[in-house]
Amino acid sequence: MLLAVAPILVIARNSAAKADVFGGVTDVWTFDNYVALADPVYAKTLGYSLGLAALTTIFCLVLGYAVSHYIVSRPASRQPVLLLLLIIPFWTDFLVRTFAWISLLGRGGPVLGFLDLIGVQATSLVPSQTAVILAMIYSFLPTAVFPIYAAMRGIDPSVREAASDLGADWWQTHFRIVVPLSIPGIVAAVLLTFVPSLGVFVIPVLLGGGKDLLVGNLIVTLYTEFRNQPMGAALSMVLLGLMLLSLVAAALVLRARGRRTA
Amino acid sequence: MNSVMDRVVAWVARLVFVFLYVPIVAVIVYSFNASQTTSTWGGFSLQWYSELLTDGALLQTLRTSLVIGISAAVLATVIGFLAALGLSRYRVRGQRFVLGAILLPLIVPEIVLGAALLSVYSFAEIKLSLLTIVLGHLVITLPLATLIILGALSSLDPTLPEAAADLGANPWQTFSRVLFPLTRSALLASFLLSFTTSFSNIVISTFTGGVGSTTLPLRVYSLLKTGITPEINALGALLILLTVAIVAAVGLRQMRRILAGTTAGS
Amino acid sequence: MKRYGWIALTATAALALSACAGGDAGSGSEGGEGSTELNIYAWAGEVPDGVVEAFEEETGISVTVDTFDSNETMMSKLAAGGSGYDIVQPSQYAVQLLIGQELVQEIDHSKLEGMENLTEKFVDPEFDPNNAYSVPWVWGTTGLLYNEDCTGEEITSWSSMIDPKYAGKIYMLDNMLASYIVGLQVNGLPATSTDEDEIAQATQTLIDQKPLLAGYNSTNYYDLVASGDACMSLAWGGASVAKVVADNPNVHYILPEEGGTIWTDSFAITADAPHVDAAYEWLNFTLRPEIAALATNEGSLATTNAAAAEHITDEALLENPAIFAPDEMLTNSEFIVDPGEAMSFYQDGWTRVKAS
Repeated sequence: MLLAVAPILVIARNSAAKADVFGGVTDVWTFDNYVALADPVYAKTLGYSLGLAALTTIFCLVLGYAVSHYIVSRPASRQPVLLLLLIIPFWTDFLVRTFAWISLLGRGGPVLGFLDLIGVQATSLVPSQTAVILAMIYSFLPTAVFPIYAAMRGIDPSVREAASDLGADWWQTHFRIVVPLSIPGIVAAVLLTFVPSLGVFVIPVLLGGGKDLLVGNLIVTLYTEFRNQPMGAALSMVLLGLMLLSLVAAALVLRARGRRTA
Repeated sequence: MNSVMDRVVAWVARLVFVFLYVPIVAVIVYSFNASQTTSTWGGFSLQWYSELLTDGALLQTLRTSLVIGISAAVLATVIGFLAALGLSRYRVRGQRFVLGAILLPLIVPEIVLGAALLSVYSFAEIKLSLLTIVLGHLVITLPLATLIILGALSSLDPTLPEAAADLGANPWQTFSRVLFPLTRSALLASFLLSFTTSFSNIVISTFTGGVGSTTLPLRVYSLLKTGITPEINALGALLILLTVAIVAAVGLRQMRRILAGTTAGS
Repeated sequence: MKRYGWIALTATAALALSACAGGDAGSGSEGGEGSTELNIYAWAGEVPDGVVEAFEEETGISVTVDTFDSNETMMSKLAAGGSGYDIVQPSQYAVQLLIGQELVQEIDHSKLEGMENLTEKFVDPEFDPNNAYSVPWVWGTTGLLYNEDCTGEEITSWSSMIDPKYAGKIYMLDNMLASYIVGLQVNGLPATSTDEDEIAQATQTLIDQKPLLAGYNSTNYYDLVASGDACMSLAWGGASVAKVVADNPNVHYILPEEGGTIWTDSFAITADAPHVDAAYEWLNFTLRPEIAALATNEGSLATTNAAAAEHITDEALLENPAIFAPDEMLTNSEFIVDPGEAMSFYQDGWTRVKAS
């Protein structure tokens, strides 16, 4: 607890401080950092980042739901093996994997060869937005699967059978029974995918050419090249505030819905 | 209709698995590359495997990463389980605050969190070491673990532990006979995801590591400047093959047991 | 619930203990005088294993080398205090910042031997008068890497990097200070400008350039140029660029006629170094010509040690412009020094460039 809260307090404090000329943090109180963030440049960056994160989350959620459903419907002894298979690819180094994507999608790579074969002309997929989104989905898929799986696993299978016995078709069974019962897992998956994908900075640079500024890149640049930790801290606090607001909103919506069904 | 859609979903899931292994196949193929770089093919060779096995520094960083990853994942899973249990079973005041506090670090970009952790350590005069990395990783893996386990517990029938208690089970029995078997998969999921998150972390390790605590990803990252050689691919390939071998061994034994069970039963 | 608490506590304690034990075994005991240890925090790839091994063998001091990939990361770790490092390896502008934050200590030159071996350019540099705090180790340049197959002509000026003819075939380093070298020098301005209007002019040039770029890349830009994916890129001279220049006769590394810049990474002793004696031994050891030559022989980097030239085994390294830029290329080159208060103009400008 202390370990989680203490750094946040430090960040909050620093966000209201000033950077000195050598890149240290001086001990003054000011809100200049927040005022400076009113510049439309930052809103634009944030908007683009939110869009990319949302897109990643939607893809991960749909695919994650399908994979979770698949794993849950396998025999119990097989499930841990499938979970493990899902995560093993991520034990190879992140950079090595990213370079593998670059050579797969790049000039002379097999993906372009395949596209050429089916008649689609493309020179190179790196750098491109497609490559960024592909790599983002790749990176966050397990993070989406695991919570959904964990929640689905707890659902009594007889509930589903009962539903289909009562004549519910596949979509009805899922949207009326399985999805509502997996809501805690789905919420967790959204949180674990959406929020961290806001902070990515390596993938957009290596696969996207780094021409579109993301909030993750901006904060890293503020902390390093700009030697302006206070401003970076202020930007993080704004991000934190936005996320908390949307969390509270989501919680309220969920509770309202919960009341209605109960 | 039901079976058709189930089959479609199953195929989507299988495709996802294939998708996950596409770059891994490339990584493994290039681990047999005779060329110096990971991007051009120079013929078949095993040289990177022999270099890997004699590269003491690299293997040392692998050990460091494993120690940190396992410690952080065990801690995150245990604490996450307790937190989730407390949050889902007991209506306590300030509950939401506790959950919020655990989840907060998730929302903060890693570099900001790392720098802040560094300030906290230096303020509390904690010397940087492996322990400080483990704690740093705990901060980022605990939200994962808590959310996964919380999700699993919330979808459980809440009357089960109560029933167990009513039947006279003490808390330990309730845990070991009721809760643990029911949440085993969630605990495994939490452990695996936490371990993987820690094992691949760069930023938090940079800020919270002390002298000599270079982790594997940090080592690889530092090789970027001079060029990453297929030796790193070889390491990745070996890790995957080892895990698959272990899984296969365990899986076979399990399968045999199931077969034995069914034959005994029939 | 109480019981669960105990389980957690015991598990936590057990793990914490084991982690502690691991950590201590790694970092070893604290040493004071007559140190038996030395902890170095250096740029990735700039302190070759051969140097460390030779030092350990001769002195019996055991050396731990950790690496960083940006001056700023290194500085924040030092600023937090108690890092445990004795020797750090800042770039020229970072030397200024470390001195400003009092994170490095003044070097007692009476304890140094071999300063006379250094190349003149790096003695008494403007970023550290009299080398009071730093001893240079390696140097390099920031210039232009291009593929003649792709450009079809010789490139001599930064102006090619803003030429619409090469639209979509140009990469810039994903680095503010490096990018402003192009932005400023192409306008005939000094790369070390601290003038608000000059920086604004450079910012505009970089914003106008952005649509022509394939991207910003500091990671594998040299591969992209070598493979012909890109025609040219802003580039840091060094091992990776030197390799592609040596391997491809059509790939060239130049310092454009506007000048380009020089960087140098130096050793300095931290203010709270636990093993000062060992740190001085390291400085003296690395000033020896035959040891300094290892930076070139093993690391493919240009040594700042003039006397080391005769110990360089591979002549090709001496002639590779991406390692040792020849003197005639360096006539207009400047050291990038810390912009001081003008940093805010750069920050503001670069944010606009990246967000445009």
